[in-house]
Amino acid sequence: MKFLKNIQKSIENNAEHNVLCIGNIYYTYNDFENEIKKIRLAIVNIVDSSEKLIGLVTNDDIYTYASIIALWIEGKAYVPVNPDTPLDRNHHIFESTKTKYVIDSSKESVYSNYEVINSSGLQKQHSNLSPKDFSGSENDIAYILFTSGTTGTPKGVPITFNNVQALVNAIDAEPEFNLNNKDRCLQMFELTFDFSVVTYLFPLLAGSCMYTIPKGTIKYFYIFKLIKEKALTVLTMVPSIINYLRPYFPEINETSVRYCSFGGGALYSDIAKEWSDCLPNCKIFNYYGPTEFTVYSGFYPYNKDTHTKAHNGIIAIGTPQKDTLYLVVNENNEEVAIGETGELCLGGPQITPGYWKNEERNKLSFFVRAENGKNIRYYKTGDLCLKDEEGDFLYVGRSDFQVKIRGYRVELSEIEFHAKTKSKKKVNIVALDIYNNLGNAELGLAIESEAFDTKEIFEYMKSKMPSYMVPMHVRFIKEFPHSINGKIDRKELKKYFNIN
Amino acid sequence: MNREEILEKVTAAFSNILEHNNFQLKDETTADDVDGWESITHMMIISEIEKTFSIKFKLMDLMNMNSVGDLLNTIESELLIN
Repeated sequence: MKFLKNIQKSIENNAEHNVLCIGNIYYTYNDFENEIKKIRLAIVNIVDSSEKLIGLVTNDDIYTYASIIALWIEGKAYVPVNPDTPLDRNHHIFESTKTKYVIDSSKESVYSNYEVINSSGLQKQHSNLSPKDFSGSENDIAYILFTSGTTGTPKGVPITFNNVQALVNAIDAEPEFNLNNKDRCLQMFELTFDFSVVTYLFPLLAGSCMYTIPKGTIKYFYIFKLIKEKALTVLTMVPSIINYLRPYFPEINETSVRYCSFGGGALYSDIAKEWSDCLPNCKIFNYYGPTEFTVYSGFYPYNKDTHTKAHNGIIAIGTPQKDTLYLVVNENNEEVAIGETGELCLGGPQITPGYWKNEERNKLSFFVRAENGKNIRYYKTGDLCLKDEEGDFLYVGRSDFQVKIRGYRVELSEIEFHAKTKSKKKVNIVALDIYNNLGNAELGLAIESEAFDTKEIFEYMKSKMPSYMVPMHVRFIKEFPHSINGKIDRKELKKYFNIN
Repeated sequence: MNREEILEKVTAAFSNILEHNNFQLKDETTADDVDGWESITHMMIISEIEKTFSIKFKLMDLMNMNSVGDLLNTIESELLIN
Protein backbone atom coordinates (compact mmCIF):
# COMPACT_ATOMS: atom_id res chain seq x y z
CA MET A 1 0.00 0.00 0.00
CA LYS A 2 1.72 3.08 -1.28
CA PHE A 3 -0.14 5.57 0.95
CA LEU A 4 0.87 3.66 4.08
CA LYS A 5 4.54 3.66 3.03
CA ASN A 6 4.22 7.39 2.43
CA ILE A 7 2.71 7.93 5.88
CA GLN A 8 5.66 6.04 7.34
CA LYS A 9 8.13 8.21 5.38
CA SER A 10 6.35 11.39 6.39
CA ILE A 11 6.39 10.44 10.08
CA GLU A 12 10.09 9.54 9.96
CA ASN A 13 11.14 12.59 7.93
CA ASN A 14 9.25 15.06 10.10
CA ALA A 15 10.28 13.73 13.53
CA GLU A 16 10.90 17.20 15.00
CA HIS A 17 7.76 18.77 13.50
CA ASN A 18 4.47 18.95 15.37
CA VAL A 19 1.75 16.53 14.35
CA LEU A 20 -1.04 17.49 16.74
CA CYS A 21 -2.10 20.36 18.94
CA ILE A 22 -4.78 19.22 21.37
CA GLY A 23 -5.99 21.69 23.99
CA ASN A 24 -2.83 23.79 23.50
CA ILE A 25 -0.49 20.81 24.06
CA TYR A 26 1.77 19.99 21.12
CA TYR A 27 2.91 16.51 20.08
CA THR A 28 5.72 15.88 17.58
CA TYR A 29 5.85 13.29 14.82
CA ASN A 30 8.47 11.58 16.98
CA ASP A 31 5.95 11.31 19.85
CA PHE A 32 3.42 10.04 17.34
CA GLU A 33 5.82 7.38 16.03
CA ASN A 34 6.44 6.12 19.56
CA GLU A 35 2.73 5.79 20.31
CA ILE A 36 2.07 4.00 17.00
CA LYS A 37 4.85 1.50 17.74
CA LYS A 38 3.48 0.80 21.23
CA ILE A 39 -0.04 0.22 19.95
CA ARG A 40 1.29 -1.86 17.05
CA LEU A 41 3.12 -4.18 19.45
CA ALA A 42 -0.04 -4.56 21.55
CA ILE A 43 -2.05 -5.42 18.43
CA VAL A 44 0.53 -8.01 17.33
CA ASN A 45 0.67 -9.57 20.81
CA ILE A 46 -3.02 -9.47 21.76
CA VAL A 47 -5.22 -9.48 18.65
CA ASP A 48 -5.82 -12.78 16.92
CA SER A 49 -4.38 -12.48 13.40
CA SER A 50 -7.70 -13.44 11.79
CA GLU A 51 -9.50 -10.54 13.52
CA LYS A 52 -9.69 -7.62 11.10
CA LEU A 53 -12.39 -5.25 12.37
CA ILE A 54 -11.15 -3.59 15.55
CA GLY A 55 -13.22 -1.20 17.63
CA LEU A 56 -11.80 2.25 18.34
CA VAL A 57 -13.18 4.64 20.96
CA THR A 58 -12.68 8.09 19.47
CA ASN A 59 -11.22 10.16 22.28
CA ASP A 60 -9.58 13.46 21.39
CA ASP A 61 -5.98 12.39 22.06
CA ILE A 62 -2.77 11.27 20.35
CA TYR A 63 -3.42 7.60 21.19
CA THR A 64 -6.60 7.52 19.13
CA TYR A 65 -4.92 8.94 16.03
CA ALA A 66 -1.92 6.62 16.56
CA SER A 67 -4.31 3.66 16.81
CA ILE A 68 -5.64 4.28 13.30
CA ILE A 69 -2.14 4.15 11.81
CA ALA A 70 -1.10 1.18 13.97
CA LEU A 71 -4.15 -0.78 12.80
CA TRP A 72 -3.58 0.16 9.17
CA ILE A 73 0.07 -0.88 9.04
CA GLU A 74 -1.06 -4.20 10.51
CA GLY A 75 -3.66 -4.47 7.72
CA LYS A 76 -6.63 -4.06 10.06
CA ALA A 77 -9.69 -1.81 9.98
CA TYR A 78 -10.90 0.62 12.62
CA VAL A 79 -14.55 0.64 13.59
CA PRO A 80 -14.91 3.99 15.37
CA VAL A 81 -17.45 4.66 18.12
CA ASN A 82 -18.03 8.03 19.73
CA PRO A 83 -17.73 7.93 23.55
CA ASP A 84 -20.63 10.42 23.80
CA THR A 85 -23.01 8.27 21.75
CA PRO A 86 -25.38 6.06 23.75
CA LEU A 87 -23.54 2.85 24.65
CA ASP A 88 -26.41 0.80 23.31
CA ARG A 89 -25.94 2.15 19.79
CA ASN A 90 -22.18 1.51 19.97
CA HIS A 91 -22.77 -2.06 21.13
CA HIS A 92 -25.09 -2.50 18.18
CA ILE A 93 -22.28 -1.40 15.84
CA PHE A 94 -19.75 -3.83 17.36
CA GLU A 95 -22.30 -6.63 17.24
CA SER A 96 -22.94 -6.07 13.56
CA THR A 97 -19.18 -6.09 12.75
CA LYS A 98 -18.60 -9.01 15.16
CA THR A 99 -15.85 -6.97 16.75
CA LYS A 100 -14.04 -8.71 19.60
CA TYR A 101 -11.22 -6.24 20.32
CA VAL A 102 -11.58 -2.58 21.23
CA ILE A 103 -8.81 0.00 21.46
CA ASP A 104 -9.74 2.53 24.13
CA SER A 105 -7.51 5.24 25.63
CA SER A 106 -10.06 6.05 28.38
CA LYS A 107 -8.82 5.58 31.96
CA GLU A 108 -11.66 3.20 32.60
CA SER A 109 -13.23 1.50 29.63
CA VAL A 110 -16.96 0.79 29.50
CA TYR A 111 -16.35 -1.97 26.92
CA SER A 112 -15.69 -4.75 29.41
CA ASN A 113 -17.60 -7.25 27.25
CA TYR A 114 -14.79 -7.00 24.72
CA GLU A 115 -11.04 -7.54 24.90
CA VAL A 116 -9.86 -3.97 25.53
CA ILE A 117 -6.44 -2.61 24.61
CA ASN A 118 -5.79 0.44 26.77
CA SER A 119 -3.76 2.51 24.33
CA SER A 120 -2.77 5.19 26.87
CA GLY A 121 -1.02 2.82 29.27
CA LEU A 122 1.40 0.94 27.01
CA GLN A 123 5.18 0.76 27.55
CA LYS A 124 6.97 -1.50 25.07
CA GLN A 125 7.38 -0.58 21.42
CA HIS A 126 7.32 -2.52 18.19
CA SER A 127 10.64 -2.22 16.35
CA ASN A 128 9.34 -0.34 13.30
CA LEU A 129 6.60 1.41 11.33
CA SER A 130 6.88 -0.57 8.09
CA PRO A 131 3.46 -1.55 6.78
CA LYS A 132 2.89 -5.28 6.50
CA ASP A 133 2.92 -6.86 3.05
CA PHE A 134 -0.44 -6.08 1.48
CA SER A 135 -0.23 -8.21 -1.65
CA GLY A 136 -3.52 -10.02 -2.06
CA SER A 137 -5.27 -8.05 0.68
CA GLU A 138 -5.61 -4.64 -0.96
CA ASN A 139 -9.37 -4.98 -0.82
CA ASP A 140 -9.41 -5.57 2.93
CA ILE A 141 -11.36 -3.02 4.89
CA ALA A 142 -9.57 0.11 6.24
CA TYR A 143 -12.54 1.50 8.17
CA ILE A 144 -16.28 1.06 8.57
CA LEU A 145 -18.42 4.07 9.39
CA PHE A 146 -22.05 3.89 10.43
CA THR A 147 -24.52 6.45 9.20
CA SER A 148 -28.13 6.81 10.26
CA GLY A 149 -30.36 4.60 8.17
CA THR A 150 -33.85 5.31 6.94
CA THR A 151 -35.20 2.40 8.96
CA GLY A 152 -33.67 3.57 12.23
CA THR A 153 -30.81 1.07 12.40
CA PRO A 154 -27.44 2.54 11.39
CA LYS A 155 -26.07 1.57 7.98
CA GLY A 156 -22.43 0.41 7.88
CA VAL A 157 -20.25 1.72 5.05
CA PRO A 158 -17.01 -0.26 4.65
CA ILE A 159 -14.11 1.45 2.88
CA THR A 160 -11.16 -0.63 1.65
CA PHE A 161 -7.42 0.14 1.57
CA ASN A 162 -7.70 0.38 -2.23
CA ASN A 163 -10.54 2.90 -1.82
CA VAL A 164 -8.34 5.07 0.42
CA GLN A 165 -5.39 4.74 -1.99
CA ALA A 166 -7.65 5.92 -4.83
CA LEU A 167 -8.68 8.98 -2.77
CA VAL A 168 -5.02 9.80 -2.11
CA ASN A 169 -4.17 9.37 -5.81
CA ALA A 170 -6.98 11.73 -6.81
CA ILE A 171 -5.96 14.47 -4.36
CA ASP A 172 -2.28 14.08 -5.31
CA ALA A 173 -3.25 14.61 -8.95
CA GLU A 174 -4.86 17.95 -8.08
CA PRO A 175 -2.32 20.73 -8.71
CA GLU A 176 -4.35 23.38 -6.86
CA PHE A 177 -4.16 21.65 -3.49
CA ASN A 178 -0.76 20.85 -1.97
CA LEU A 179 -0.11 20.62 1.76
CA ASN A 180 3.40 20.87 3.19
CA ASN A 181 5.11 20.40 6.54
CA LYS A 182 4.67 24.08 7.44
CA ASP A 183 0.88 23.89 7.23
CA ARG A 184 -1.34 24.21 10.29
CA CYS A 185 -4.64 22.47 9.65
CA LEU A 186 -8.01 22.55 11.39
CA GLN A 187 -9.27 19.10 12.41
CA MET A 188 -12.75 19.86 13.77
CA PHE A 189 -14.41 16.53 13.04
CA GLU A 190 -15.34 13.67 15.26
CA LEU A 191 -13.57 10.53 13.98
CA THR A 192 -16.87 8.70 13.40
CA PHE A 193 -17.71 11.31 10.72
CA ASP A 194 -16.22 10.44 7.33
CA PHE A 195 -15.06 14.00 6.65
CA SER A 196 -12.43 13.41 9.38
CA VAL A 197 -10.55 11.01 7.08
CA VAL A 198 -9.33 13.87 4.89
CA THR A 199 -8.59 16.13 7.87
CA TYR A 200 -6.14 13.66 9.42
CA LEU A 201 -4.91 11.71 6.38
CA PHE A 202 -3.70 14.62 4.23
CA PRO A 203 -1.92 16.47 7.06
CA LEU A 204 -0.18 13.21 8.07
CA LEU A 205 0.98 12.56 4.50
CA ALA A 206 2.40 16.08 4.25
CA GLY A 207 3.97 16.35 7.72
CA SER A 208 1.54 19.15 8.69
CA CYS A 209 0.18 19.86 12.16
CA MET A 210 -3.49 19.26 13.05
CA TYR A 211 -5.40 21.38 15.58
CA THR A 212 -8.36 19.69 17.25
CA ILE A 213 -11.37 21.12 19.10
CA PRO A 214 -11.36 19.95 22.74
CA LYS A 215 -14.60 18.83 24.31
CA GLY A 216 -16.44 21.43 26.39
CA THR A 217 -15.25 24.39 24.33
CA ILE A 218 -17.62 26.62 22.37
CA LYS A 219 -16.82 25.16 18.95
CA TYR A 220 -17.48 28.24 16.81
CA PHE A 221 -15.38 30.62 18.85
CA TYR A 222 -12.66 28.05 19.47
CA ILE A 223 -12.24 27.56 15.72
CA PHE A 224 -11.87 31.29 15.27
CA LYS A 225 -9.40 31.46 18.19
CA LEU A 226 -7.30 28.74 16.54
CA ILE A 227 -7.34 30.49 13.17
CA LYS A 228 -6.32 33.74 14.83
CA GLU A 229 -3.84 32.67 17.49
CA LYS A 230 -2.27 29.68 15.74
CA ALA A 231 -2.42 31.32 12.31
CA LEU A 232 -4.00 28.25 10.73
CA THR A 233 -3.31 27.84 7.04
CA VAL A 234 -5.77 25.11 6.04
CA LEU A 235 -9.45 24.90 7.02
CA THR A 236 -11.83 22.05 6.29
CA MET A 237 -15.35 22.60 7.53
CA VAL A 238 -19.08 22.13 7.12
CA PRO A 239 -20.97 25.25 6.00
CA SER A 240 -22.93 25.48 9.29
CA ILE A 241 -19.78 26.75 11.02
CA ILE A 242 -19.70 29.94 9.01
CA ASN A 243 -23.45 30.41 9.43
CA TYR A 244 -22.84 30.83 13.16
CA LEU A 245 -19.82 33.08 12.69
CA ARG A 246 -21.63 35.25 10.18
CA PRO A 247 -22.66 38.05 12.60
CA TYR A 248 -18.94 38.57 13.30
CA PHE A 249 -17.61 38.50 9.72
CA PRO A 250 -16.83 42.26 9.76
CA GLU A 251 -14.26 41.54 12.50
CA ILE A 252 -12.62 38.63 10.67
CA ASN A 253 -9.65 39.23 8.39
CA GLU A 254 -7.30 36.25 8.53
CA THR A 255 -4.43 36.44 6.09
CA SER A 256 -2.75 33.17 7.16
CA VAL A 257 -5.41 30.88 5.66
CA ARG A 258 -4.49 29.61 2.18
CA TYR A 259 -7.03 26.81 1.68
CA CYS A 260 -10.60 26.50 2.92
CA SER A 261 -12.51 23.36 1.89
CA PHE A 262 -16.22 22.94 2.44
CA GLY A 263 -18.23 19.75 2.30
CA GLY A 264 -21.07 17.86 3.94
CA GLY A 265 -23.77 20.32 2.96
CA ALA A 266 -24.88 22.95 0.50
CA LEU A 267 -22.69 26.04 0.35
CA TYR A 268 -24.65 29.18 -0.50
CA SER A 269 -23.31 31.91 -2.80
CA ASP A 270 -24.05 34.88 -0.58
CA ILE A 271 -22.30 33.56 2.53
CA ALA A 272 -19.42 32.10 0.47
CA LYS A 273 -18.68 35.55 -0.90
CA GLU A 274 -18.79 37.18 2.52
CA TRP A 275 -16.57 34.44 3.99
CA SER A 276 -14.15 34.80 1.10
CA ASP A 277 -13.81 38.49 2.04
CA CYS A 278 -12.71 37.37 5.54
CA LEU A 279 -9.87 35.25 4.09
CA PRO A 280 -8.10 37.46 1.53
CA ASN A 281 -5.32 34.97 0.66
CA CYS A 282 -7.42 31.85 0.52
CA LYS A 283 -8.51 29.43 -2.20
CA ILE A 284 -11.98 28.04 -1.51
CA PHE A 285 -12.91 24.52 -2.58
CA ASN A 286 -16.50 23.36 -2.58
CA TYR A 287 -16.10 19.60 -2.21
CA TYR A 288 -18.72 17.01 -2.91
CA GLY A 289 -18.77 13.36 -1.95
CA PRO A 290 -20.72 10.81 0.08
CA THR A 291 -19.32 8.42 2.72
CA GLU A 292 -20.00 5.59 0.23
CA PHE A 293 -17.41 7.04 -2.15
CA THR A 294 -14.53 7.60 0.30
CA VAL A 295 -15.16 11.20 1.39
CA TYR A 296 -14.52 13.30 -1.72
CA SER A 297 -15.47 12.66 -5.34
CA GLY A 298 -14.80 16.12 -6.78
CA PHE A 299 -14.94 19.86 -6.17
CA TYR A 300 -15.69 23.28 -7.60
CA PRO A 301 -12.93 25.90 -7.18
CA TYR A 302 -15.03 28.81 -5.87
CA ASN A 303 -13.67 32.29 -6.42
CA LYS A 304 -15.79 35.33 -5.60
CA ASP A 305 -14.56 37.13 -8.73
CA THR A 306 -14.04 34.43 -11.33
CA HIS A 307 -15.82 31.20 -10.26
CA THR A 308 -19.29 31.82 -8.86
CA LYS A 309 -21.36 29.24 -10.69
CA ALA A 310 -24.47 28.38 -8.71
CA HIS A 311 -27.96 26.93 -9.01
CA ASN A 312 -30.76 28.33 -6.82
CA GLY A 313 -28.05 30.06 -4.82
CA ILE A 314 -26.11 26.85 -4.12
CA ILE A 315 -22.48 26.82 -5.32
CA ALA A 316 -21.72 24.27 -8.06
CA ILE A 317 -20.04 20.99 -7.14
CA GLY A 318 -17.81 21.21 -10.23
CA THR A 319 -16.21 18.22 -11.87
CA PRO A 320 -15.27 14.69 -10.79
CA GLN A 321 -11.70 14.12 -9.63
CA LYS A 322 -9.15 11.73 -11.16
CA ASP A 323 -10.51 8.23 -11.99
CA THR A 324 -14.05 9.16 -10.85
CA LEU A 325 -17.04 9.08 -13.19
CA TYR A 326 -20.19 11.16 -12.72
CA LEU A 327 -23.41 10.05 -14.36
CA VAL A 328 -26.78 11.79 -14.10
CA VAL A 329 -29.65 9.34 -14.54
CA ASN A 330 -33.44 9.09 -14.63
CA GLU A 331 -35.58 6.61 -12.69
CA ASN A 332 -34.47 3.80 -15.03
CA ASN A 333 -30.76 4.49 -14.46
CA GLU A 334 -30.47 5.90 -17.99
CA GLU A 335 -28.29 8.93 -18.61
CA VAL A 336 -30.23 12.20 -19.05
CA ALA A 337 -29.33 15.04 -21.43
CA ILE A 338 -27.12 18.00 -20.54
CA GLY A 339 -29.07 20.59 -18.54
CA GLU A 340 -31.60 18.03 -17.33
CA THR A 341 -31.95 17.17 -13.66
CA GLY A 342 -31.47 13.59 -12.52
CA GLU A 343 -29.89 11.54 -9.77
CA LEU A 344 -26.11 11.79 -9.57
CA CYS A 345 -24.31 8.42 -9.64
CA LEU A 346 -20.64 7.85 -8.95
CA GLY A 347 -18.34 5.22 -10.43
CA GLY A 348 -14.65 4.50 -9.99
CA PRO A 349 -12.07 3.05 -7.58
CA GLN A 350 -13.33 4.97 -4.51
CA ILE A 351 -16.71 3.20 -4.46
CA THR A 352 -17.52 1.16 -1.34
CA PRO A 353 -17.90 -2.61 -1.82
CA GLY A 354 -21.48 -2.08 -0.51
CA TYR A 355 -23.42 -1.53 2.71
CA TRP A 356 -22.38 -3.88 5.47
CA LYS A 357 -24.58 -6.96 5.46
CA ASN A 358 -27.45 -5.19 3.76
CA GLU A 359 -28.17 -6.87 0.44
CA GLU A 360 -31.58 -5.29 0.15
CA ARG A 361 -30.19 -1.78 0.38
CA ASN A 362 -27.31 -2.67 -1.96
CA LYS A 363 -29.74 -3.74 -4.68
CA LEU A 364 -31.34 -0.30 -4.51
CA SER A 365 -28.21 1.83 -4.23
CA PHE A 366 -25.82 0.27 -6.74
CA PHE A 367 -26.09 -0.74 -10.37
CA VAL A 368 -23.74 -1.88 -13.12
CA ARG A 369 -23.63 -0.23 -16.51
CA ALA A 370 -21.74 -1.34 -19.61
CA GLU A 371 -19.55 1.45 -20.99
CA ASN A 372 -17.14 0.92 -23.88
CA GLY A 373 -17.16 -2.81 -23.30
CA LYS A 374 -16.45 -2.43 -19.60
CA ASN A 375 -18.82 -2.97 -16.71
CA ILE A 376 -18.83 0.09 -14.45
CA ARG A 377 -20.43 -0.15 -11.02
CA TYR A 378 -22.24 3.01 -9.92
CA TYR A 379 -23.47 4.26 -6.55
CA LYS A 380 -26.74 6.19 -6.55
CA THR A 381 -26.24 9.20 -4.28
CA GLY A 382 -29.84 10.33 -3.85
CA ASP A 383 -28.62 13.80 -4.83
CA LEU A 384 -30.26 15.53 -7.74
CA CYS A 385 -27.85 17.29 -10.06
CA LEU A 386 -27.54 18.61 -13.55
CA LYS A 387 -24.56 18.94 -15.84
CA ASP A 388 -24.14 22.22 -17.70
CA GLU A 389 -22.69 22.90 -21.16
CA GLU A 390 -19.23 23.50 -19.69
CA GLY A 391 -19.18 20.12 -17.96
CA ASP A 392 -19.72 21.44 -14.44
CA PHE A 393 -22.16 19.66 -12.19
CA LEU A 394 -24.70 21.70 -10.26
CA TYR A 395 -26.42 20.54 -7.12
CA VAL A 396 -30.20 20.79 -7.29
CA GLY A 397 -31.33 19.05 -4.09
CA ARG A 398 -31.87 15.70 -2.43
CA SER A 399 -34.07 13.35 -4.36
CA ASP A 400 -35.99 12.81 -1.14
CA PHE A 401 -36.45 16.57 -0.75
CA GLN A 402 -38.24 16.61 -4.02
CA VAL A 403 -41.88 16.34 -3.07
CA LYS A 404 -45.16 16.11 -4.84
CA ILE A 405 -47.71 18.79 -3.98
CA ARG A 406 -51.10 18.22 -5.52
CA GLY A 407 -49.37 16.21 -8.21
CA TYR A 408 -46.74 18.80 -9.01
CA ARG A 409 -43.08 18.04 -8.47
CA VAL A 410 -41.62 20.59 -6.08
CA GLU A 411 -37.97 21.18 -5.22
CA LEU A 412 -37.74 22.29 -1.59
CA SER A 413 -34.39 24.03 -2.16
CA GLU A 414 -36.00 26.33 -4.67
CA ILE A 415 -38.55 27.53 -2.13
CA GLU A 416 -35.76 28.11 0.39
CA PHE A 417 -33.79 30.04 -2.17
CA HIS A 418 -36.62 32.46 -2.89
CA ALA A 419 -37.55 32.88 0.77
CA LYS A 420 -33.93 33.63 1.67
CA THR A 421 -33.48 36.06 -1.19
CA LYS A 422 -36.17 38.34 0.21
CA SER A 423 -35.50 37.85 3.91
CA LYS A 424 -33.86 40.91 5.45
CA LYS A 425 -32.73 38.78 8.37
CA LYS A 426 -29.93 36.44 7.33
CA VAL A 427 -31.19 33.36 9.11
CA ASN A 428 -31.63 29.70 8.27
CA ILE A 429 -34.85 29.00 6.40
CA VAL A 430 -35.89 25.46 5.59
CA ALA A 431 -38.82 24.28 3.52
CA LEU A 432 -40.42 21.01 4.58
CA ASP A 433 -43.11 18.68 3.35
CA ILE A 434 -45.62 18.03 6.10
CA TYR A 435 -48.45 15.58 5.89
CA ASN A 436 -51.97 16.57 6.87
CA ASN A 437 -54.51 14.14 8.27
CA LEU A 438 -55.57 13.27 4.74
CA GLY A 439 -52.08 12.05 3.99
CA ASN A 440 -51.33 14.89 1.59
CA ALA A 441 -48.09 16.78 1.64
CA GLU A 442 -48.28 20.47 2.46
CA LEU A 443 -45.42 22.87 2.51
CA GLY A 444 -44.07 24.38 5.68
CA LEU A 445 -41.43 27.01 6.15
CA ALA A 446 -39.26 26.83 9.25
CA ILE A 447 -37.36 30.01 10.11
CA GLU A 448 -34.57 30.02 12.65
CA SER A 449 -35.40 33.25 14.41
CA GLU A 450 -37.71 35.10 16.77
CA ALA A 451 -41.02 35.86 15.08
CA PHE A 452 -41.03 38.66 12.49
CA ASP A 453 -43.34 39.89 9.75
CA THR A 454 -43.03 37.62 6.71
CA LYS A 455 -45.45 39.51 4.45
CA GLU A 456 -42.72 40.74 2.12
CA ILE A 457 -41.10 37.30 1.84
CA PHE A 458 -44.44 35.76 0.91
CA GLU A 459 -45.29 38.47 -1.59
CA TYR A 460 -41.94 37.82 -3.23
CA MET A 461 -42.38 34.05 -3.28
CA LYS A 462 -45.81 34.46 -4.85
CA SER A 463 -44.18 36.58 -7.53
CA LYS A 464 -41.54 33.97 -8.30
CA MET A 465 -43.29 30.61 -8.03
CA PRO A 466 -46.61 29.00 -8.86
CA SER A 467 -49.03 29.19 -5.95
CA TYR A 468 -48.71 25.49 -5.10
CA MET A 469 -45.07 26.09 -4.26
CA VAL A 470 -45.76 28.80 -1.68
CA PRO A 471 -45.68 27.34 1.85
CA MET A 472 -48.92 27.34 3.83
CA HIS A 473 -47.40 27.05 7.27
CA VAL A 474 -44.72 29.08 8.98
CA ARG A 475 -42.98 28.32 12.23
CA PHE A 476 -40.34 30.38 13.97
CA ILE A 477 -37.87 28.22 15.82
CA LYS A 478 -35.19 29.84 17.93
CA GLU A 479 -32.63 27.16 17.26
CA PHE A 480 -32.85 24.47 14.62
CA PRO A 481 -32.16 20.91 15.77
CA HIS A 482 -28.90 19.52 14.37
CA SER A 483 -27.59 16.03 13.83
CA ILE A 484 -24.32 15.06 15.49
CA ASN A 485 -22.44 16.13 12.36
CA GLY A 486 -23.83 19.64 12.34
CA LYS A 487 -26.38 19.21 9.62
CA ILE A 488 -29.90 20.56 10.11
CA ASP A 489 -32.14 17.73 11.30
CA ARG A 490 -35.15 18.08 9.01
CA LYS A 491 -37.01 15.16 10.49
CA GLU A 492 -36.86 16.75 13.94
CA LEU A 493 -37.82 20.13 12.47
CA LYS A 494 -41.03 18.73 11.02
CA LYS A 495 -42.26 17.99 14.54
CA TYR A 496 -42.78 21.71 15.08
CA PHE A 497 -45.54 21.65 12.49
CA ASN A 498 -48.66 20.27 14.05
CA ILE A 499 -51.07 21.09 11.28
CA ASN A 500 -53.89 18.71 12.05
CA MET B 1 -26.24 48.92 36.51
CA ASN B 2 -24.26 47.11 39.20
CA ARG B 3 -22.81 43.65 38.87
CA GLU B 4 -25.63 42.03 40.83
CA GLU B 5 -28.26 43.51 38.54
CA ILE B 6 -26.28 42.35 35.52
CA LEU B 7 -26.02 38.84 36.96
CA GLU B 8 -29.76 38.76 37.53
CA LYS B 9 -30.48 39.60 33.89
CA VAL B 10 -27.83 37.16 32.67
CA THR B 11 -29.39 34.41 34.79
CA ALA B 12 -32.75 35.18 33.23
CA ALA B 13 -31.24 34.93 29.73
CA PHE B 14 -29.70 31.54 30.58
CA SER B 15 -32.93 30.08 31.95
CA ASN B 16 -34.85 31.49 29.02
CA ILE B 17 -32.66 29.70 26.48
CA LEU B 18 -31.88 26.55 28.45
CA GLU B 19 -35.51 26.29 29.61
CA HIS B 20 -34.56 25.37 33.17
CA ASN B 21 -33.11 27.11 36.20
CA ASN B 22 -31.22 24.32 37.91
CA PHE B 23 -28.08 26.38 38.12
CA GLN B 24 -26.48 29.12 40.18
CA LEU B 25 -24.24 31.37 38.11
CA LYS B 26 -21.06 32.53 39.81
CA ASP B 27 -17.89 34.14 38.47
CA GLU B 28 -16.14 30.77 38.22
CA THR B 29 -19.06 28.90 36.57
CA THR B 30 -18.22 27.37 33.17
CA ALA B 31 -20.16 25.43 30.51
CA ASP B 32 -19.26 22.19 32.30
CA ASP B 33 -21.29 23.23 35.36
CA VAL B 34 -24.58 23.98 33.65
CA ASP B 35 -26.84 21.43 31.99
CA GLY B 36 -27.38 22.12 28.31
CA TRP B 37 -24.83 24.93 28.05
CA GLU B 38 -22.83 23.90 24.97
CA SER B 39 -21.72 25.30 21.59
CA ILE B 40 -25.10 25.95 20.01
CA THR B 41 -26.98 27.13 23.13
CA HIS B 42 -24.02 29.37 23.91
CA MET B 43 -24.53 31.18 20.59
CA MET B 44 -28.20 31.67 21.52
CA ILE B 45 -27.42 32.87 25.03
CA ILE B 46 -24.93 35.39 23.65
CA SER B 47 -27.49 36.79 21.24
CA GLU B 48 -30.14 36.89 24.00
CA ILE B 49 -27.78 38.86 26.27
CA GLU B 50 -26.92 41.26 23.45
CA LYS B 51 -30.62 42.01 23.08
CA THR B 52 -31.25 42.33 26.84
CA PHE B 53 -28.50 44.90 27.34
CA SER B 54 -28.61 46.46 23.85
CA ILE B 55 -24.93 45.75 23.34
CA LYS B 56 -22.89 43.99 20.65
CA PHE B 57 -20.03 41.75 21.74
CA LYS B 58 -16.77 41.70 19.89
CA LEU B 59 -15.50 38.42 18.49
CA MET B 60 -12.17 38.94 20.27
CA ASP B 61 -13.98 39.12 23.63
CA LEU B 62 -16.21 36.15 22.85
CA MET B 63 -13.30 33.90 21.93
CA ASN B 64 -11.63 34.46 25.31
CA MET B 65 -14.79 34.10 27.36
CA ASN B 66 -14.31 31.00 29.49
CA SER B 67 -16.50 31.63 32.52
CA VAL B 68 -19.50 33.58 33.75
CA GLY B 69 -17.03 36.02 35.36
CA ASP B 70 -15.50 36.77 31.92
CA LEU B 71 -19.01 37.27 30.55
CA LEU B 72 -19.98 39.72 33.31
CA ASN B 73 -16.72 41.66 32.89
CA THR B 74 -17.34 42.01 29.16
CA ILE B 75 -20.93 43.18 29.69
CA GLU B 76 -19.72 45.72 32.27
CA SER B 77 -17.13 47.15 29.93
CA GLU B 78 -19.57 47.23 27.00
CA LEU B 79 -22.11 49.10 29.15
CA LEU B 80 -19.40 51.61 30.13
CA ILE B 81 -18.60 52.33 26.47
CA ASN B 82 -22.27 52.96 25.79
